[in-house]
Amino acid sequence: MKKMYLSLVVGVGMLFSFQSVGLAQSDYPTLNQMTQRLQGVAGNGTATLKSLTKTEGGKDVWVLKIGKGDMDNKPGIAVVGGSEGFHVLSVELALQFAEKLVNENDAALDRNTFYIFPNMSPDAYEQYHASLKYERRGNAAKVDHDRDGRLSEDGYVDLNNDGLITMMRVESPMGDYMPAEDDERVMVKANASKGQKGSYMVYPESRDMDKDGKFGEDLEEGIAFNRNQTYKFPIFTPLAGDFAVSQAESRALLDYLFEQWNIFAFVTFSPANNLSAPLKYNAGDAKKRIITSMLEKDVAINSMVSEMYNSTVSQKAFNQNNQGTDGDFFQWAYFHFGRLSFSTPGWWVPEVKGEDGKSSSSPEVNFLAWASENSVDAFVPWTQVNHPDLPNQTVEVGGIKPFVMYNPPFSEVAAIAQEHTDFILKLAEVSPKLEFHNLQTEKLGNGLTRITADLFNNSQLPTHSEMGEKSRWLRKVRVDINRETKDIMSGDKIKLIDKLGAYEKTTLSWIVKGSGNVEIKAGAAHTGIATLNVKL
Amino acid sequence: MKFKNWIYTAFIGAAVSFTSIQTSEAQVSQDRYFRALGTPHDPKVQVSWNRYHTNLALEEIMRDMAKKHPNLVKLESIGKSYQGNDIWVLTVTDFNHGKADEKPAMWIDGNIHSNEIQGTEFTLYTAWYLAEMYGDLEFITELLKDKTFYIAPTINPDAHDYFIKEANTQNSPRSGMIVLDNDGDGLAGEDPFDDLNGDGHITFMIRKSPTGRFVKDQMDPRKLIMVAADEQGEYEMLGYEGIDRDGDGQVNEDGIGYYDPNRDWGWNWQPDYVQRGAWKYPFAVPENRAVMEFVMKHPNIAGAQSYHNYGGMILRGPGAEEDLGTYNATDIRIYDAIAKKGEEFMPGYKYLVVYKDLYSVFGGQLDWFYGGRGIFTYSNELMTSYLYFHENAGRNNQDEQMKVDRYLTFGDAFVNWEEYDHPQYGRIEIGGFKKNFGRLHPGFLMEQDAHRNSAFTILHGYHTPKLSVSDVKETDLGGGLKEVVATIYNERLIPTHSSQDLKYKIARPDYVSISGAKVVAGFVVEDADFKKYKEQKVGPEKIHVDNIPGMGVVKVRWIVSGGGNYTINVDSEKGGKATWKK
Ligand SMILES: [Zn+2]
Repeated sequence: MKKMYLSLVVGVGMLFSFQSVGLAQSDYPTLNQMTQRLQGVAGNGTATLKSLTKTEGGKDVWVLKIGKGDMDNKPGIAVVGGSEGFHVLSVELALQFAEKLVNENDAALDRNTFYIFPNMSPDAYEQYHASLKYERRGNAAKVDHDRDGRLSEDGYVDLNNDGLITMMRVESPMGDYMPAEDDERVMVKANASKGQKGSYMVYPESRDMDKDGKFGEDLEEGIAFNRNQTYKFPIFTPLAGDFAVSQAESRALLDYLFEQWNIFAFVTFSPANNLSAPLKYNAGDAKKRIITSMLEKDVAINSMVSEMYNSTVSQKAFNQNNQGTDGDFFQWAYFHFGRLSFSTPGWWVPEVKGEDGKSSSSPEVNFLAWASENSVDAFVPWTQVNHPDLPNQTVEVGGIKPFVMYNPPFSEVAAIAQEHTDFILKLAEVSPKLEFHNLQTEKLGNGLTRITADLFNNSQLPTHSEMGEKSRWLRKVRVDINRETKDIMSGDKIKLIDKLGAYEKTTLSWIVKGSGNVEIKAGAAHTGIATLNVKL
Repeated sequence: MKFKNWIYTAFIGAAVSFTSIQTSEAQVSQDRYFRALGTPHDPKVQVSWNRYHTNLALEEIMRDMAKKHPNLVKLESIGKSYQGNDIWVLTVTDFNHGKADEKPAMWIDGNIHSNEIQGTEFTLYTAWYLAEMYGDLEFITELLKDKTFYIAPTINPDAHDYFIKEANTQNSPRSGMIVLDNDGDGLAGEDPFDDLNGDGHITFMIRKSPTGRFVKDQMDPRKLIMVAADEQGEYEMLGYEGIDRDGDGQVNEDGIGYYDPNRDWGWNWQPDYVQRGAWKYPFAVPENRAVMEFVMKHPNIAGAQSYHNYGGMILRGPGAEEDLGTYNATDIRIYDAIAKKGEEFMPGYKYLVVYKDLYSVFGGQLDWFYGGRGIFTYSNELMTSYLYFHENAGRNNQDEQMKVDRYLTFGDAFVNWEEYDHPQYGRIEIGGFKKNFGRLHPGFLMEQDAHRNSAFTILHGYHTPKLSVSDVKETDLGGGLKEVVATIYNERLIPTHSSQDLKYKIARPDYVSISGAKVVAGFVVEDADFKKYKEQKVGPEKIHVDNIPGMGVVKVRWIVSGGGNYTINVDSEKGGKATWKK
């Protein structure tokens, strides 16, 4: 039966699958459902679906390439989902973008090519649908996270048998946590400077098999994609591993990207956010040999794109202070790959103001207030358990359920996906665009002609970010004239231009011998190629 | 019938002649050769140490070594290069004494930089010397019982042969054979060197010019001398042999590479804008990936050596100032002790630190071996002009080089200037020093330097840890309980865990375990005199010890019940194994 359904999807094509999934789906997709929808998109003639590799857990890592004509020489946008396995929304947003692109926005393919990597953490993503649910980041590699010679001896344990990994709290006069004043279900750190005193130790729901006093410090998951990249790689820390890009999915993605010269921007759906507000400029960090601040001109671009985002996406920023974490993907795309790189979680917990007009300083308290307003079942009440490693102590398991703080109820996703699709398409519209203007041909006599033309970047964006100018992984703008060197009296047969700024022009000039047609081309894969035909 | 008979007779004849050859070979040797001290004088594998070997010859020699020394040398391919060549590793150890992969080991490689091919010969010499001297010298025999040497003569086989077989300069290629776009024009490798005069060497182009700053020396017309500022010269320099193939007005701007295989390693890796030559991400170069995977699978590697040229240097990290904190005093003391001894028996070689004495390197091989794996690692820059006349004339000193070629190599080093019609430059002259001069040893200097550098890796390998259970004390505690205190001694300079290793917990702890006794409690002894113990509550029969320091001891203590005999086992990834039985 299932087989028949699959063949129907492939046979009838995208339209059918889109509608059937769209109607049937009430929750984030399983990996199988995701694959079926990708195959549905690939049923469209403009899209090609390819598996880049298989993860340690044997899951495909997919890329959809969507475009028309000379695809590799049109400015490209890469859309990345599943940077974090627990961020299941990101996969759905990438998927819906692909579906909306091929179904409703065919015209966007005239000038741009799109690369969609819907799920970079399929091993971890699966945990959302598993019988034991927890917010997982790592793939299926076997890793000794606490590096003690014992492999994953202290992973999560479902002590209360509810199929969810939440938290556990242990009553203790030495504890550094206490119930929050505005919602006592939430445990917050006691602030000694305010005269507060803790009464609980708080740990993830887990055991201490190696009796080292630490709980859940050696998880059963492997390496996290969003901690495995080269920028600020957190070597030897949990979920990161022994060296950067150690995992098959990271390597396969990068190998692919290093051959796609036309990508000018990335939109990554991940917990980091530089779209609600741009990255900050720090002159000291920008001038060091190893650059750790976005460069000044690029911050200006980021601001411009942030304005575009905020005018397209309706949700107001709240608690959006994650602007990147060590070893993550979105910062890599800028700092190490030289491309414009944007990240957004797509959704975050909205601010809930109390009667006093203020929201809680605790994100968890704010979340629970929002959850109760929106009838989201979000909390496992603290319940006492017998903890095998903590006999004679009062141990309770409970807390906010996994996933619900990072992923909205599925019913909200359609609107979020529409707004984010609109944003990505607006970003594509401002991609660098080279044009020739003001062509002049002057006969100089004796078969010589002077050709003069302006090469103009008709875009709000420069052809190269300031970081991109430093990178060898972004090609220069190349101007070619199809005459033999001996017939070019003046001017370059091949000329390389480092950069054209937003709405910047440069004047080009040649003196050539002979008659007939001359073709002049200018551009780079990521800017598109402009062609000028000159009749001598 | 006749035919079969012939075969039979021939077979017997062959068998007879085989035995006669065998006896006569020993006789031949005895009748003809007298041992020169320090060298295997009657080796099973004959190698000339005064020439360079291609991949083909290398493989033949390595196979011969494995065949003639089956209990000492094994050959394996650890992976394929970009062009599909095998990356060979010789494992040299006494295979009848302990498991090769459980003994403290040295990793030695050469030729990561394509043109630096004497590293290949030197590593090969080390393997050859160890195998041929086993059984002959007590020190080497003992060494191969205790240690394992993993030796990779070339970790860049593609470009090893490309340097030898194709036209190149002394400096090219440095990359392996992957061709990238160097000038950002969208094409890869579209304008490499051109061997215009077809002699297999890329030398220099010069041209007569009224504004030239050079003249030919009247005493030796091979020599170009720069004229004084107020004098008119005759020649201008046009650079290495080449033409503008793509018509962009530049010559030789995009050839093999460019990437640097020694900027591709996973410690302190930085991208190309910081570190020129870095490629996509750590271990993107397939040859390096094969080495990394081998090293990860062989945690017994406690010391490492890589070979480069040029300059007569024993180098240690850090490669970059940003990484200064990685190399701490405890480990530097050990680096210093071995390298300073090396300086004494390697005239012309100086012990230096990469970032401050050479240049900044991010993602270098030696930094990964140490920073990423905690392995004590040196990189030697082979060959120094000091070896010619025992003078410090400096690198590329034209006068000294000309003197070498006149009195020692008799013209073998230089391509004399000859005229050539260049499509873009017009009439030029081509000539200069050959690719195998300068950075590479001439034949007559190779064996000596190979031996001295091998002696340095032997010293290094000797000082990888050697563990023993040096003492076991039993005390009756009454009530059927006994205290057992075992002392574990490391007889060598290198600890089981470098301090870098301890900082990041790279290698697992050492295990000291007791079997055959019922263990009630187990401890690491922190201070024996004042009875300070650190208890291990989980699995006390197998005590986890963080480190066994060089020339130092660690004590563990158990409280056991019942009598009977027991065994104490020490199991260390980098320190090997030791056993004590009651
Ligand atoms: Zn080198």
